[in-house]
Amino acid sequence: MKSFVRMSYPYILWIAVFIVAPMIMILLYALTRTGNGTLTFQFTLENFSRFFSDPDFLRVLWTSLRIALITTVFCILIGYPAALFIANLPEKRQTLMILLLTLPMWINMLLKTYAWRGILMNFDLESEAKVFIGMVYDFLPYMVIQIHTAISKLDRDLLVASYDLGANRWQSFLKVTLPLSVPGIISGITLVFLPAVSSFVIPKLLGGGNYVLIGNLIEKYFLVAGDWNFGSAISLIMALIIIASMYLTKKIDRNAEED
Amino acid sequence: MRKLIEFKNIVKSFDGQVVLKGVNLNIYENEFVTLLGPSGCGKTTLLRILGGFLEQDEGTVIFDGKCIDNVPPYRREINTVFQRYALFPHLNVYENIAFGLRIKKTGEDIIRQKVQRMLSLVNLEGYEKRNVTKLSGGQQQRVAIARALVNEPNVLLLDEPLGALDLKLRKEMQRELKRIQQEVGITFIFVTHDQEEALTMSDKIVVMREGEIVQIGTPLEIYNEPVNAYVARFIGESNIVDGTMPADYKVRFDEKNFECRDFGFRPDEPVDVLIRPEDIDIVKPRDGVLRGTVKSVIFKGIHYELMVETQTGTSKTVHMNVVTQHDLTNQAAGEKISANDFYVDLEDLENREMTDKDFISIANAQAWDEEGRDISLTKVSHNIENRTGVYSITFGTEKKTEVTVKVYVIHPEYVEDDRHNIGITALDFFITPDEIQESMAISTDLKTWASAEAWNLQDDSSIEITDVKFDFNPAEVTEGSYEITFSTRGREYKVETTSTHEVGDRIGLDFGPDDIHVMHKEVVDA
Amino acid sequence: MKKKKSAGRFFTSGYLILVLLFIYLPIVYVMVFSFNESRSMTAFTGFSFQWYESMVNNREMLESIKYTVIIAVVATVVSTVIGTVAAIGLSKARRIIRSIVLEVNNLPVLNPDIVTAISLMLLFLSMKIQRSIVTLTLAHITFCIPYVILSVMPKLRQLDDNVAEAAMDLGATPWKALTKVIIPQIYPAILSGALIAFSMSFDDFVISFFTAGMDVQNISMYVYSMKRFNPSVNALSTVIVIVVTVILVLANLIPHLKDKRMKKEEQY
Repeated sequence: MKSFVRMSYPYILWIAVFIVAPMIMILLYALTRTGNGTLTFQFTLENFSRFFSDPDFLRVLWTSLRIALITTVFCILIGYPAALFIANLPEKRQTLMILLLTLPMWINMLLKTYAWRGILMNFDLESEAKVFIGMVYDFLPYMVIQIHTAISKLDRDLLVASYDLGANRWQSFLKVTLPLSVPGIISGITLVFLPAVSSFVIPKLLGGGNYVLIGNLIEKYFLVAGDWNFGSAISLIMALIIIASMYLTKKIDRNAEED
Repeated sequence: MRKLIEFKNIVKSFDGQVVLKGVNLNIYENEFVTLLGPSGCGKTTLLRILGGFLEQDEGTVIFDGKCIDNVPPYRREINTVFQRYALFPHLNVYENIAFGLRIKKTGEDIIRQKVQRMLSLVNLEGYEKRNVTKLSGGQQQRVAIARALVNEPNVLLLDEPLGALDLKLRKEMQRELKRIQQEVGITFIFVTHDQEEALTMSDKIVVMREGEIVQIGTPLEIYNEPVNAYVARFIGESNIVDGTMPADYKVRFDEKNFECRDFGFRPDEPVDVLIRPEDIDIVKPRDGVLRGTVKSVIFKGIHYELMVETQTGTSKTVHMNVVTQHDLTNQAAGEKISANDFYVDLEDLENREMTDKDFISIANAQAWDEEGRDISLTKVSHNIENRTGVYSITFGTEKKTEVTVKVYVIHPEYVEDDRHNIGITALDFFITPDEIQESMAISTDLKTWASAEAWNLQDDSSIEITDVKFDFNPAEVTEGSYEITFSTRGREYKVETTSTHEVGDRIGLDFGPDDIHVMHKEVVDA
Repeated sequence: MKKKKSAGRFFTSGYLILVLLFIYLPIVYVMVFSFNESRSMTAFTGFSFQWYESMVNNREMLESIKYTVIIAVVATVVSTVIGTVAAIGLSKARRIIRSIVLEVNNLPVLNPDIVTAISLMLLFLSMKIQRSIVTLTLAHITFCIPYVILSVMPKLRQLDDNVAEAAMDLGATPWKALTKVIIPQIYPAILSGALIAFSMSFDDFVISFFTAGMDVQNISMYVYSMKRFNPSVNALSTVIVIVVTVILVLANLIPHLKDKRMKKEEQY
């Protein structure tokens, strides 16, 4: 059986080259002085201070976080009841519903977003509303599936016990199903909030020129301005925010478990 | 006592299978009632219908004089302790127990009072803040009971609650539950398949089978006067013997008449006779009403369990002819070959197509090379006809290594025991000392070599040959003829005793009219 | 439990239908307008196949489709093989190595795709490697492998160690134990990992955008870079929807039919 371990070596090599090295690159570029494409090895924090000192940049950061947050909230509001109702269907219908829900995930995100552009041309809406519709549309299935998985894993007996003790359906939902489905909500948040923070395609396509988000910023500094160092710094800031929020949600989850 | 619950004609099917076939049952105040039966008999279904979690197809459930068919579970004054406890993992012990009270919007201080009282009732004081998922099985069980009882229901339903506990804990909890029921003074309806549990705790036992109630009674009644063999076998150990009732208070079995206490049967009605192993006394052979030989002794801690054979089975004796192996060697091809003479039952020849493979196997024909590897036998030729007589058969390999042996086609005598409806047959056979020594299970192999079979004369079903008697040492057997006797089981009684005995002891069995219980034979569904 | 009152059931079904309508609105809308006579996305003026014709004649679009499929297939195959092999190797490795590797493995999954995209771009550019279809494919393989591993590892952990050992006790070589015991048992996980990898690659935009060269475009990149709105995109979308639907229906029907046939055989 020991010989099997050797099977992992090719991959270890791969990740060293294609995952670790690139991340180190970003780190290096972010922490060095601008060299217009070449690595200067003059270590500095000026890329970070440049970001945090400019109110425009901070506004972009705030907008990205705000949009991601609101998208997530809507996904929960719309997705939770959907997941709950699906979980109460007979098993065959459940599989069918999940299938129907996940089918669009296979279709190209750009094609779907373009479709929304077409549809939304019929309506006179704030571009922000259009952006939200596009974002919620893209992320909703992920939230529904995470919550559905959590709810369907619940022991059926718990609901029966709750009825037995005198709680009606609504009370049983509030006191038993909902609290126990929280892990599902949390993993749904992970799958929605984090990618939403960094998305720039949907806001760009649906929001017209009005939306500069972090992703657009990164795109601009890398491809238009050629300032890889600043671009890397911004990427790093975003990555750190994301890692921080992940640890936070994991901590909330673990604390809830320990109570 | 007041009648609390009435099941009237409850019928329920699942997926086309009828699980409850029209059940009628009354349950009274303050009773500890146990629904007892094997899995699938409908006991849990009946319980869940009472709890409101299942709807019956036909019939009504009456609770305290009122029909509750349309009352949802959360409005019935019944609480349940579930088989797998179903404790809320996100609430601690206190909150789990308080759950029902909170739903009823009871005041905080009353809740505290009641929960505390429950905790001391189930001996879990101090456990209020504990995480329920980290408790042991027994502790979780007690939380589940407390959670149900704190709501002061009129009836508590318990669905095999002790199944997941180990033996010692289970016995402890049985005592606890009985104590709690008597202290709280409400009706407990308990579902289990464990007969000992039922006997220990119940005021009343309801024995169920395949959707019907077979017998209702106190533990004593069910144990001493089971209504038929099913109930008798389900509860306690039993000896059940076929018999007839020539007259009231007289039962006949094992070719003897015995005095008994039962009456009301048709003259000579076929019956099942029950005698409990603990009611049979062991006495000197001439002092007993039956005599027998001890066949096995098992130590059970409290007592020994003996199987005593009072009537031997049907037997047949044959001869085992041990001959020395004569291997034939084919020098040129480097092969050796051997085979035994053998007997064949004429009837087998006529009724079963005997193939070459069968002959190779019966003759134990083998061929092997210099390294001991098996060589296949490609040639099997014989002159066997469907008549008794002596024939010859030749086995050979591809390289023409051959051996010829004799085949005796005979019409063996069957032994047919009309009284017990048993037939048995076996054939003489030839065998070599090597084959005997190589045998890993000599009794089983003897049966195979002799083609020994036993069957029921009425329906041709196969009967086990339990006894193989022989008088040689398999490790040191020499040429010669030996007698082998094959027998079926015969009549055996299970007896419980504290005195020691050895296999082979000849003893007497004694019991009195009070120890015999006669039951109607069950009607067998087509 | 007793059946829900019909009012309740009406509400829940209604809600689910609304959600489904929302989910399928753009899809149906696009399919309808792919047959539109005019360029408009707001007014349906008449029925026409012109956008399908124009799609078939649009060399740039066809090429992007070709590249998307080729890259997805290659990336799926390579990542499935490397990923499965790696997962098996990791399951037998020491805990420390396994945790580290799995944490690193998760980076492409957890990181926003733009960070992964940038990091790879930086790698290629600073190594002075020209971006091309090769770099694009390498990038795809890199982000697909983690999904294969995430799919296979849990199944591997569920495996009863004793089974492979039993095989070797009965005389199988480690290779035979691998191919005849381990792989058949984790086969469903490998398949679903491959499917996820395929869909991740097929759908990808951001990473492709940053790691492709001048000469390659996949479907997403093509759509993003369209100067003017081209209704052939609707035709393309419709085709993709139909293909995906057919595949998913087959994928779900075939096991169902197999089960039915097995049940019939069992009756005899």
